[in-house]
Amino acid sequence: MEYDRILSDLLNRDEYLVVGKKTVRLDALDKLLGKARFTSDYIPKNTMTVKVVRSTMPHALIKRVDTSTALMVPGVVTILTAKDVPGENEIGYALPEQPFLNDKKVHYVGDPIALVCAIDETTAQEAMEAVVVEYEPLPAVFDIDAALAEGAPIIHKENNVAVKTKIRKGDIAKGWKDSDVVVEDTYWSPYQEHMCLEPEAAYAVPDGVGKVTIIACMQSPHLVREKVARVLGWKLNQVRVIQALTGGAFGKKDDTGPLISGYAALAAIKTGKPAAYIMDRSEVLSVTPKRFPVRFKYRSGADGKGKLTAVEVEITLEVGAYANRAPFWLWRQTAHACGPYEVPNVAVDGRAVYTNKVYGGSYRGFGNLALHFAAEQQVDKLAYELDMDPVDFRMKNILRIGSRTTCDQLLDNSVGIDKCLAGVAAASDWAKHREPVRIGTKIRGWGVGCAYHGNSTSRSTPDWSAASLMIHGDGSLTYRTAICEIGQGSPFGHAKIVAEIIGCNLDSIKIEQPDTDSTPDSKPTHGSRGLMMGGTAAADAAIKLRERIIRVASNMLDCPEAHVELRDSQAYNRKKPSVKIPFAEIVEEMHIRGENPASYGFYTSPRRFFDVDTGLGYNYAVYTFAASVAEVEVDTETGQVEVTKIWPAMDVGKVIDPLMVDGQIHGAISQGIGFAIMENLQLKDGVVTTTGFKDYIIPSALDTPEIDDTIVVEEPYKHAAFGAKGVGEPSIISIVPAVVNAIHHATGLRFSTIPITPDRMHKALKEAGKK
Amino acid sequence: MVNFELNGAHVSFEAPATMTLLDMLRVELGVTSVKKGCEQGECGACTVLIDGYPMTSCIILAPQVEGRHVCTIDGLAENPLMKELREAFMENGAVQCGFCTPGILLSAYALLRDNKRPSEEEVKTAIEGNICRCTGYVAIIESILDAAERIAPD
Repeated sequence: MEYDRILSDLLNRDEYLVVGKKTVRLDALDKLLGKARFTSDYIPKNTMTVKVVRSTMPHALIKRVDTSTALMVPGVVTILTAKDVPGENEIGYALPEQPFLNDKKVHYVGDPIALVCAIDETTAQEAMEAVVVEYEPLPAVFDIDAALAEGAPIIHKENNVAVKTKIRKGDIAKGWKDSDVVVEDTYWSPYQEHMCLEPEAAYAVPDGVGKVTIIACMQSPHLVREKVARVLGWKLNQVRVIQALTGGAFGKKDDTGPLISGYAALAAIKTGKPAAYIMDRSEVLSVTPKRFPVRFKYRSGADGKGKLTAVEVEITLEVGAYANRAPFWLWRQTAHACGPYEVPNVAVDGRAVYTNKVYGGSYRGFGNLALHFAAEQQVDKLAYELDMDPVDFRMKNILRIGSRTTCDQLLDNSVGIDKCLAGVAAASDWAKHREPVRIGTKIRGWGVGCAYHGNSTSRSTPDWSAASLMIHGDGSLTYRTAICEIGQGSPFGHAKIVAEIIGCNLDSIKIEQPDTDSTPDSKPTHGSRGLMMGGTAAADAAIKLRERIIRVASNMLDCPEAHVELRDSQAYNRKKPSVKIPFAEIVEEMHIRGENPASYGFYTSPRRFFDVDTGLGYNYAVYTFAASVAEVEVDTETGQVEVTKIWPAMDVGKVIDPLMVDGQIHGAISQGIGFAIMENLQLKDGVVTTTGFKDYIIPSALDTPEIDDTIVVEEPYKHAAFGAKGVGEPSIISIVPAVVNAIHHATGLRFSTIPITPDRMHKALKEAGKK
Repeated sequence: MVNFELNGAHVSFEAPATMTLLDMLRVELGVTSVKKGCEQGECGACTVLIDGYPMTSCIILAPQVEGRHVCTIDGLAENPLMKELREAFMENGAVQCGFCTPGILLSAYALLRDNKRPSEEEVKTAIEGNICRCTGYVAIIESILDAAERIAPD
């Protein structure tokens, strides 16, 4: 189905009612009044507290867990270990190597071993310290080279490689033969902590025999249900999961949602009491998944005319203690390895390597942020080698309609990266800024970054989404989606799609919080699919309901269906606009005529495929494209880098709401700048030592650069409602390369790792004799 | 026994010496608009006004507010300046996940109450202690400047 055209034909409006317009989010007022409820706001006083006893060793066999002394602490209800897990003691996302509670071996400092359940926090803390865990220490490895070395301690399996990937496109040997310039470098992209403002929280209530209700922060209630049911050994319909408003997620809570819900649920069903598990900030920083660290070895070539000829990449992903999302993360990096450019000859080899450290997980950009940090510097270097302007060089090679991607996917619709790049070059007066400018001790420079990001699942995993819609007797509507509100406003975007199709007032729609007992499985809120997939399911539900409303209205208005116009929650005869019928009357008539007032929307993404041996195929449903120019000032005395201005552009397919697009882009600029120059997660012997806002510094209002008006390109995706593509993740990807390329422009220095802190810059300037 | 004024009403509460103001408000008095983000006085989600000035309630002990006026966002629901701030935040899209929002509104309110026409730098400084990970601050800063404009037009 080509939804973008179907909808414009169906609606037959000169101008959309709400799609594309600025509107006030339906959840804004509650949040501004402090009445919006997050998980911990639901937890009654005196609820039983759950705390997790965690490994203090990075790699060790568990010889004995003794809870006898801890159980004697007054106020302790129970202490649960692996033997109390009624179902499967397994919580891994992709590979079955991650125990829910460890009883044999621990793989990092922070591995869960036991759950202490007590009447309050203080008691739980006291009991936790009284649990005795006896270990037999094993040698541990804290970096990828040590993990890959011969004779390295085995963490899960021989040679510590969790998974491998590969792409072979064209003829790489010919590619090098055709190259007049070749640039090589090794890049390292470190951990990044999400720093969601809301720490993880879960609340579970036993509900009669054989049912438990969970309220928690998360990104996929149905994934949480599946994982918790597995641990409990229950059927899916015995576990009810409600997603509370979630105070920031950025991927983190896709991974932590099942864990924290599992802890609270097991405690609740084992004790018969409501149970609450709330993390504190240092626990979040110490033990929960981060952006995966990764090393890229790049070799890129171009011919004398400025055409890319070959790209060869070796990717070594550090997964930490558990693979978690690594197979998908690594595949995404592999499949995007050339950046948004056409390259005829490509060879990529990836491997994901275990270490005894906190493990990696989902984070906005899902591999592509690190990938573009490296790939976009390679492109920049080639441009400099060829003495070409970095924008002109990119433009010569950029993906267009008819191009083939890194994995040979033919792009036949929705490619707007050329317009993004041209847009930011014009807006920033790029051509006038080709020389860095010295101002006192500071040097100002400008850099560009481009990005693309496949929407929806990796590895051609089938993807689908569902939604439901019900119109009530007074004409108001209830909309249900399991796409979660985590700050981004995706469900509100769905409501706008519904309002546009049904012609109802936006505020007549109530968006329910996702609840697995009543909300259809929309699949997770990740992969930039919340609006693209979830919103198209919403459109499907709305189209079905619209057809019934129109059928009944045409009869009531005594006019052909084609003349019925729906608007302002009323039906009009287009030829006689003075005659109108409110939705309430139509709904009454629908019931009498046997027209179903509820509808279920379902959308499946087109089938994709790829060849495992070559990595080639139709890999992603569609790509979102972005380009940014950054202006930076580097203080050559202090080494301080300041990002002073960003010019952003993005091909979003179709804007559903410009405020939400800007909201994503502005937030991503801040997170991207944080990653590029500020955020610095530190570990010592596998232990995270930066455990709060005071030592893991993220941008404050004072670090906000000037941001130019977003250049919005709309190249609609033919299979999504109104042509909309995902924005949340792609928005961050071009920021880091734009900043590092600007730093190079200012200083002549290339940084193969981030963050470019004052220390690092100071040292580099000194070594280069520029200070 | 701590005696203080909470949003204009007198409160007497038997608070243990080690209880934080944040826990007394959230857990004991049910004021959940005050958020717990870090318990280290660093993120600003638990901001309240004490005698009119923004403070992080997670690092203040409950007995320390004896005789003070504590104001949370709930106490300013009908306040004209707060209404302008809310309007501006809605129209500029300054609300995303909403977890930092009550704290930021209180810092912004205290700024505009004392400084009718702050500069952009003054706005940034006033909310520097309130961390937001979603919005990148741009819409928030614009909203505060907008609200100032609405209250005291040129």
